[in-house]
Amino acid sequence: MSTRIRLGALGLMALPLLTTACTSGGAGPNPRTSPSTAVPVRQGGSIVIGAEQEPDCTDWIASCATSIWGTYIMDVPTIPRVFEPKKVDGKWAPVATNVLASEPEVAAGPPQKVTYRINPAAVWSDKKPITSADFRYTALAIRDGKDVLDRTGYSHITKVDTPDPKTAVVTFDTPYANWKHLFSGLLPQHLLDGKDRGALMKDGYSWSGGPWKIESWKKGVSVVLVPNKNYWGDKPKLDKVTFQFTADTAAAFQAFKTGQLDALYPTPQLDSIDQIKNGLPNANSVVDPESGNLEGLWFNNAKAPFDSVDFRKAVSYALDRKAIVTRLYGALGVTKPAQSVHTPLVGKYGGTDFARYTLDQAKVDSLMKGDGWAKGSGGIWEKAGKKATFTVSTMTGNKRRELTEQILQEQLRTAGFEVTIDNTSAADLFANKVPKGNFQLGLWTLVDTFPLPSLEASFSSSAIPTAKNGYAGLNMSRIDLPGLDKALNTAASSLDDSTRVEASRKADKLLADSAATLPLDVIPNVLLWNKKIGGPLAVDPARGPFWNLAQWGLAR
Amino acid sequence: MFTYIARRLLYSIPVVFVASFLLFWAVRTVFDPLAKLRGGPDPGAIARVTERLGLDRSIPEQYWRWLASFATGDWGVSSRTTGPVLRLILPALGTTLQLIVWGVLLAAVIALAVGVYSAVRQYSAGDLAFTGLSYLGIAMPPFWLGLILIQFLAAWPQELLGLTDPPLYFVGLHSPDGGGPLDYLRHLVLPVLTLTIGLVASWSRFTRATMLEALTSEYVRTARAKGVPRRRIVVRHALRTALGPFVSVTAVDAGLLFGGLVVTEQIFAIQGMGRLFLDSLLAGDVFVLVPWTLVIAVVVIVFNLLADLAYAVLDPRVRLR
Repeated sequence: MSTRIRLGALGLMALPLLTTACTSGGAGPNPRTSPSTAVPVRQGGSIVIGAEQEPDCTDWIASCATSIWGTYIMDVPTIPRVFEPKKVDGKWAPVATNVLASEPEVAAGPPQKVTYRINPAAVWSDKKPITSADFRYTALAIRDGKDVLDRTGYSHITKVDTPDPKTAVVTFDTPYANWKHLFSGLLPQHLLDGKDRGALMKDGYSWSGGPWKIESWKKGVSVVLVPNKNYWGDKPKLDKVTFQFTADTAAAFQAFKTGQLDALYPTPQLDSIDQIKNGLPNANSVVDPESGNLEGLWFNNAKAPFDSVDFRKAVSYALDRKAIVTRLYGALGVTKPAQSVHTPLVGKYGGTDFARYTLDQAKVDSLMKGDGWAKGSGGIWEKAGKKATFTVSTMTGNKRRELTEQILQEQLRTAGFEVTIDNTSAADLFANKVPKGNFQLGLWTLVDTFPLPSLEASFSSSAIPTAKNGYAGLNMSRIDLPGLDKALNTAASSLDDSTRVEASRKADKLLADSAATLPLDVIPNVLLWNKKIGGPLAVDPARGPFWNLAQWGLAR
Repeated sequence: MFTYIARRLLYSIPVVFVASFLLFWAVRTVFDPLAKLRGGPDPGAIARVTERLGLDRSIPEQYWRWLASFATGDWGVSSRTTGPVLRLILPALGTTLQLIVWGVLLAAVIALAVGVYSAVRQYSAGDLAFTGLSYLGIAMPPFWLGLILIQFLAAWPQELLGLTDPPLYFVGLHSPDGGGPLDYLRHLVLPVLTLTIGLVASWSRFTRATMLEALTSEYVRTARAKGVPRRRIVVRHALRTALGPFVSVTAVDAGLLFGGLVVTEQIFAIQGMGRLFLDSLLAGDVFVLVPWTLVIAVVVIVFNLLADLAYAVLDPRVRLR
């Protein structure tokens, strides 16, 4: 599975980090930065959490399973995973879970082979052990299934051997560096093999391999989780957790204030930030300033005026990114712009090469003049009778991005660029305009979902959408730099982590050197809960805010 | 009467299907059922889903395939949830029906009372006050009205009285742990009020106008000249005449409401027909939208028919042919 997706049409905000700022005693302006402390909890009780979105289905490998909220509220609590993100020496890294008895053994080959040894204690909720047959069933269901959302990585699996019930050996046809991202969701072979998996799973399922079970999913209303009594790890403290679907932000905040909802994980849009800024009595909050969501400015490198390196650099120097971030998220205490195309989730693979791009009018002037431009009447740059005019595009209805565009427009006007806003629906933007290159400057988000680098999905020349490949591929910016593909391929295929780090940072530097794109900010995430709830609450970059729901409880 | 009903229903069939095709065409042209997959990690998913849903065929062909299935009683499968469409529509219809029944009943009673009072006491202080309130009710958008009601009737009373729970709930129609009739009532009040205020505002104005027309008609004047008491004139003569158009309007409006409660359902987290429409539209789920439209069309036709029948019953001058 690729660990990088473009977030746009989904309009989702997701995948936050554990690097948190915590406030207590009332969430409000200027959150105090301090580590989140665990409040002692008692056994038993129930809570109700507001869920912004309802998943479309719970067949986690099918094309209908695109909702990140599905991952948060039903997938993560019930489906066993082989690796999970954890902080190692202050950086996120994939770490083996309690599904495994030991770290998998990797033989570089060729062919590359990975041997998984399964924890003898690992069982499904019906007490049947988790076995190598589950690994094989999951791998083949994804590799060969018809309605599969993402085959990345699985398409390289040639076979899964099962020498014994607790050993699975996976063989690959090519070196696959992101093998740790595979099996981010094991399925029970003994319950699903030979049956219609979609029919059995898509509307919820009664089995589990995690700390929770799905008791009910009332469509449009709620999802109820109850403890999986046969879970072999730490068992939940709460007797019941209800996720109530509340799509309207204002009503959700009111419900939180009045105690109908005990916790919220709001999308960091302007309305929710305003609510937090205005103060929430008796609420605790975690503001995560380092999520896996990178908001960026995406130049169309194949179309004028952004096919010129100097022009791209000039625009990059014309922007005060810190001011933009402060305006958007200052109320949450977040003011730092992003300086890498790697999000903090894959932070160890990225550098800070984009830090050079700070507001510098002298550099703008020098670059533009060097590129043959001159200030015309009205203070706008002109060249060969043409003004330095371009459009910026994003999806309509996203107030935060619309505000960002207005700030960009203002800042760039001051530097001598004329910007027109050209927004459209998410469907039109990502189905037509952007894949076909009908844009000049775009504003959207890239999301990392696992702490392994996968820049090749977004920046390799083979990922440029063309008529030939049916306009598929994430390199919408049409970036094609000398040496970049080589660096990206090394980062994607090397099994040596230090080589991957070096190659990823080289790619980051190449992108910054040519100003091929410009990261703006890492979208922060906010978790709010009332004082009734205790436990070590924090947000995980890949598994969301409810990754450790088993440790939540009612405060003593 | 039977011939009239049969003819009306027969006329409606082609209209409904033309409308369903136009909607199918419009949604397939404007919205993208694959939007959620675009920009995903595996571009191959788009081709796989395109093939599975038959999206590579022409729109008329897609529509025809859907219609052929529909004619055999197969309502199809949602492209968004991959589940049966019927299992999405029926619960949503039931939920919306609850809101409409309570909202329309309450609104009808209040609107009639206010409208009759305003007509009988034309230009009095009460009439002017109700007129002002009606315009205010018409002017208030439901999303704003809903939030105001939440603040005034739930959040502030809870705060002022120091209650652990708000007196009225505003998330869903039931508490997560179920609850009895009182719990249901506490959930129902705010969304129904949001719906009712708008309806009362417009229906009371309509009642006032029809009542005024009736009160100035010749047969009322004749009744007055005969010395019939005022109360009887208002209730027996004028109100009965005004009731025909009133019932007609309320029935038509009630039918239209089945698909028109998007905002109210969104604010109060109620999964009715309005929210189902919105979710399906945003996902480009034409396989839900078209049956949804057919259901709404049938509801509107039936309610229109009921309106005509009620009109004929209430006004002896009307004959259906």
